[in-house]
Amino acid sequence: MKVEIKEYCVRCGICVGLYPQLFAHNFDKDCIEVKYDELPADLEETAKNAARDCAVTAIYLKK
Amino acid sequence: MRLKTDLVIMGSGMAGISAADAALARGKKVMVFEKKPYQGGAVSNCPIAYLSIRNDKDFQNAAFHLLYEYSNYNANPSVIRQYVNNSWRTKEYIERLGIKMIPTQKLELEDIGNPKYADGFPPAIMAHGDFYLVPGRGKGHGGALICLNAMKDIIKRGGQYMLNTPITDILVDENGKVNGVKAVNNETKEEIEVECEAVIIASGGIMEDREMMKKYTGFTFTDYNCSGDGNVLFNCYPNSGQTGDGQKLAWKLGGAQTAIAVSGHNLVPGPGIVASSPWIVYNETRTIQEQPYLWVNKNGERFIDESISNNHMAISTGISNQPNGESYIVFDEDTRRHLEEDGVDYMYFIFPVEKLTDIPGQFKTLINEKGNKHVFMTDTIEELCTQSGIDQAGLEETLDRYNGYCDNGEDEEFGKDAKYLRPVRKGPFYAMRVFCAGYDTIGGIKVNGKMQVIREDGKAIPGLYAAGDNMMSEFYGNPPTGGSAGAYFAMPFGFAAGDSACDYLEKNA
Repeated sequence: MKVEIKEYCVRCGICVGLYPQLFAHNFDKDCIEVKYDELPADLEETAKNAARDCAVTAIYLKK
Repeated sequence: MRLKTDLVIMGSGMAGISAADAALARGKKVMVFEKKPYQGGAVSNCPIAYLSIRNDKDFQNAAFHLLYEYSNYNANPSVIRQYVNNSWRTKEYIERLGIKMIPTQKLELEDIGNPKYADGFPPAIMAHGDFYLVPGRGKGHGGALICLNAMKDIIKRGGQYMLNTPITDILVDENGKVNGVKAVNNETKEEIEVECEAVIIASGGIMEDREMMKKYTGFTFTDYNCSGDGNVLFNCYPNSGQTGDGQKLAWKLGGAQTAIAVSGHNLVPGPGIVASSPWIVYNETRTIQEQPYLWVNKNGERFIDESISNNHMAISTGISNQPNGESYIVFDEDTRRHLEEDGVDYMYFIFPVEKLTDIPGQFKTLINEKGNKHVFMTDTIEELCTQSGIDQAGLEETLDRYNGYCDNGEDEEFGKDAKYLRPVRKGPFYAMRVFCAGYDTIGGIKVNGKMQVIREDGKAIPGLYAAGDNMMSEFYGNPPTGGSAGAYFAMPFGFAAGDSACDYLEKNA
């Protein structure tokens, strides 16, 4: 599974604050980065929660 | 690339989208330029408590007189009138975007100006309209959702969004009339020139331009841990991108400058308190920062009637006026017990906690594991002062006096409500160093009642308008530090600027 962040993400940092094991705020590039290209199985539930919690539905999970 | 449109809007936050909405409603061609690669302004990081004045002349007049008086008659009354007359449109617009507004407080005419209806969160004088909460999606903020839905709506209605494309210049003809803008796409580096007859500057404040902040507000930025010298200001929104671009362009064209102030609140900085957004808290200490107990400056002196410690405008203004722009909330073991067993005196509606849990444990985690240098827990006042830097003699003198007020049930200095008089006597002692933190800045561009940018001589620059935080000094007069900015001001001014720009376009057609 992969995590994709849509371009309309507002970089509010909620995902970084709640799920730092999965996301990081790159202030230089002004973007939110996903720490894994391929999501480890034990973080799949975390990713689903992050998608649910996102302010603007910018986090998508792709199989 | 050369493009043509009727109206260019600089910025896609609350003021920008409402200006676009107004202009599209009148059939104008609109281009919204946003320098970031995504939509929205500082408000995208904000859970919104919305205020809307009813579309009723009596309510609008009552709010107008209240707000004008509040400015010490220093504001531009025509600007206040634009706000009160257009405030109702915010609710209609947000609901039209498919976003629910939850009413939390409805004011009757006789309630306007009654501080009890301001409920601490905004300045007391802001009891001038009905309050709503705009819930966000998921754990997110209502502001982010409004800006996203607005972008979709504006594009659907024929408006254009130019993301990642900062406006670098506003062009005027030989008569000084606006006739275009220059912009550049950050990604492709392509230069874009747009022919247009009107421009609305809706690009927000100056928060992230440190030189401007120092020059115009006196605040010195610091690192995340607020370890710098001088008046420090903790930036709540490190990615809001507000660097005074609109102010600089308006001034370059001869627009008059106004005072710029910080829209602030109180915040303990450093690791472990809040995430990059102040609305994500890691523990309950944010709630402690609301409480009406003893607040002192680094000299150990009280500086405010702590009854209003949950009024963010009041407390942040008070804090920023103290030496080094810092303050301390101090309480003892008995108050710790009170917070955990009896419950909090002030609940912050964003983080509703009735009773705190294990304050010593939370403090220990912050001090020992997170390395936060602004949180203190000691057995004695002497240790507290050694660790925090509070002047011990000053604090002891204050405690002698303040504990006496608590014993007598009367605050002879500031008249604090007696029910909040809690002595500081019994260790362990707890303290947190609290700074004025900035949401944003307000002011910089002078406008008239048509939202036109004006020169020092009061004459308008034809075709140039401003809306939102950048012209809020005209609403407040000389704005106080801590003056509330906010979405509920930005949107009415966006509508007003959009309407005025349309009037201008139609007159010149």
